[in-house]
Amino acid sequence: MTAVVTPLRADGASVGPARHRRRRLTFDRVSFVTVFLGVPLALYLIFVVSPFIQACYYAMTDWSGFTDTQNFVGLANFGKILDDDIFLKALRNNILLALVLPAVTLVLSFALANLVTVSGTSRGQTRGLKGSGFYRTVSFFPYVIPAIVIGIMWSQIYDPSNGLLNGILTSLGFDGARSFPWLGDERTAMVATIFVIVWSMVGFYMVLFVAAIKGIPAELFEAARIDGAGRLRTALRITLPLVRDQVQTAWIYLGILALDAFVYMAALNPGGGPDNSTLVMSQQLLTTAFRKGQFGLACAMGVVLAVVTLAFAACVFLANRLLGGKEVAR
Amino acid sequence: MSIDPRPMQRRQFLRYSLAAAALVPLGGALSSCAAGGSSSSSESSASGGAVSDTNPFGLADSSAIDAVIFKGGYGIDYVTYAAKALTKVHPTVTPTVAPSTNIAQELQPRFVGGNPPDLVDNSGANAIGISTIIEQLEDLTSVIEAKNLEGGVIKDTLYQGVTTPGTFDGKFVALNYALTVYALWYSASLFEENGWTPPKTWDEALDLGAKAKAKGKFLFVWGKEAATYYQTMAIASAIKEGGDEVRLALENLKPDCWSLPAVQSVLTAMKKVVDAGYFKPGGSGTVFTAAQAQWTNDQDAVLYPSGSWIENEMIKQTASGFQMTGAPEPTVTSGSKLPYEALHSTAGEPFVVPSKAKNVAGGKELLRVMLSKDAATNFAKTLLAPTIVKGTVPADGFGSTALVSQTKMLEAAGTNIFSWNFVDYYGLNTDMLVVWNSFLDGKSDVAALTKGLQGITDKVAKDSSVKKIEVK
Repeated sequence: MTAVVTPLRADGASVGPARHRRRRLTFDRVSFVTVFLGVPLALYLIFVVSPFIQACYYAMTDWSGFTDTQNFVGLANFGKILDDDIFLKALRNNILLALVLPAVTLVLSFALANLVTVSGTSRGQTRGLKGSGFYRTVSFFPYVIPAIVIGIMWSQIYDPSNGLLNGILTSLGFDGARSFPWLGDERTAMVATIFVIVWSMVGFYMVLFVAAIKGIPAELFEAARIDGAGRLRTALRITLPLVRDQVQTAWIYLGILALDAFVYMAALNPGGGPDNSTLVMSQQLLTTAFRKGQFGLACAMGVVLAVVTLAFAACVFLANRLLGGKEVAR
Repeated sequence: MSIDPRPMQRRQFLRYSLAAAALVPLGGALSSCAAGGSSSSSESSASGGAVSDTNPFGLADSSAIDAVIFKGGYGIDYVTYAAKALTKVHPTVTPTVAPSTNIAQELQPRFVGGNPPDLVDNSGANAIGISTIIEQLEDLTSVIEAKNLEGGVIKDTLYQGVTTPGTFDGKFVALNYALTVYALWYSASLFEENGWTPPKTWDEALDLGAKAKAKGKFLFVWGKEAATYYQTMAIASAIKEGGDEVRLALENLKPDCWSLPAVQSVLTAMKKVVDAGYFKPGGSGTVFTAAQAQWTNDQDAVLYPSGSWIENEMIKQTASGFQMTGAPEPTVTSGSKLPYEALHSTAGEPFVVPSKAKNVAGGKELLRVMLSKDAATNFAKTLLAPTIVKGTVPADGFGSTALVSQTKMLEAAGTNIFSWNFVDYYGLNTDMLVVWNSFLDGKSDVAALTKGLQGITDKVAKDSSVKKIEVK
């Protein structure tokens, strides 16, 4: 193939022979726009945007979900859910998750990523620990298992009478662990749940960071080492600022996962946990819609969930900007 | 091959996308509104057949019947069996029986779209709250006034009061097919071996707890999704103690209904059992089927309060020679308003026929066949549970001790049979589980439990958007 492609100029103007500002709609152009723009955009509008708008409308009605009529009630539903102590508890749990879950997961996965890439022997070339390929593969395993399987598996492990965890603890002599309900005690239910989510996510984010760290030129690490920087200092002062964008992306992804968290919660504690300590908004939404037949109210909960998610993403962007993200990352 | 050298300019690309964005919603999105306006496609098509004693609803020849059946403890084979029997009477009709484990999620779009199935078994954890669809359901009085396949009027073949749980504001919309007896279940062989008897009062329950403890066993076991089975037992016990006024106060979500003396005395007695350590610890973290197996298989606990579906539910995880047997729930004192033998029993598995269904007559006809002696006997025989049709269980209970004990309990109770609806009708179970798990765990006291339960019923009572049913 020997086609000569005219190089583009930076200002976007082409240097070919035909250079009107307005061009005719050739078949090429129309088909290109239809396939690459029209179809995805149509799908997006039909399956994402329009349900969104519909949900916002239903949030202002008293729709039961099983009729084809509904009455407009204005913002009454929002007043009702902001008055509802169970929903507010779910909202608080979601916010707690959104704060804790990304922090724990990212610290762990960043540390592991450092260990398997640059924190190995201090002699010779910069590299990770011995057998790092093995660790990398193993820690990715949980991510391959579907979330619902993880939830069911861990609810068996946490079983008070016949579970693996209490079995190990009692055989080690911790008699307090006999019949201890990890998921049934207010003090431990949320921690136990967060542990499961972190366990399932760490491998994936480690791989994400490994890819980012591999993209950093090795000379930087060598220079830092020559200047006498230890492993911790290298990780915090050299690596972290250079993978800043990945941290931001990962933080938002994990935050969104934490604000949903439905699968894990439904598998581990379908009823919302002891004293609703692991109840999340999406669970409460499902109960309201399908068990209580109050779709209007449930849609209002969905709108609140969406607003919280957008606010969370905005906060992460803002924090990154305030901490000087722009200068260092570029 | 030549490549078009002109690049697509960014600004122009944006212009196209704006144009597309403006056009697309006009074309598709708006017309696909999920619940927009009234549905027009609800013509009652199949109303052709001639009405007679053998075809009381005028089922049209060569029509189709669409039944969606909850696939839970009872499966769907009993409806398939009835559907086969129906084709013998109406050879040209084709019934389809589809299983579902998520009635509400699966059928919600069909109800909104105006094309619901002809017959629905609205049961299970994800059943549709009857209050939300009550206006769209057929009155089923015509079904029980019709003649069954044997030629007798159906109404006369049913147990007393079985239409009550399906009647709301005087409209009989749900035909509950299976008869459920709520009781305290135990292993007759284990009790005989140790010389124990099932407790008739809560004091006897405490004594039995001590005896069981001496053998290294607990009195009760519970699972996190089924903690409210103990609420069911508590309410039954309180109704026996305080009579009908307790039931009515709860049913009508009266303020302070949980503080009635009868209710409080039961809760206090249960708290004693909890504090004595007679509940197997860890229930709030145990899946309910696992907890139930600790009773039927490991025999770590000796009693379990549940409905009569329990035998079939645990049949594969029950120790051999267990001899599951039921006893009425204990009372607080021997001077209770209703006798100890009074029984909490109700009909379950609510079958409904939506008015907008294509073949309403077909849905009713299938129900009529299910209520014939042959289909009802088949249900009792294969599922070891009675239906609302009388006289389908022989004296040996098809070899099931649980079924025999149910018949005996029903006979002993006579007319002292009661039930209530408010927990299911208003969908309160999820919220109630939370407070009951804490209580059974020993983490909260009677006052906290009362406050929690009162909060749940008060919230519904005060919510003007929830349609209330007044129970008299």
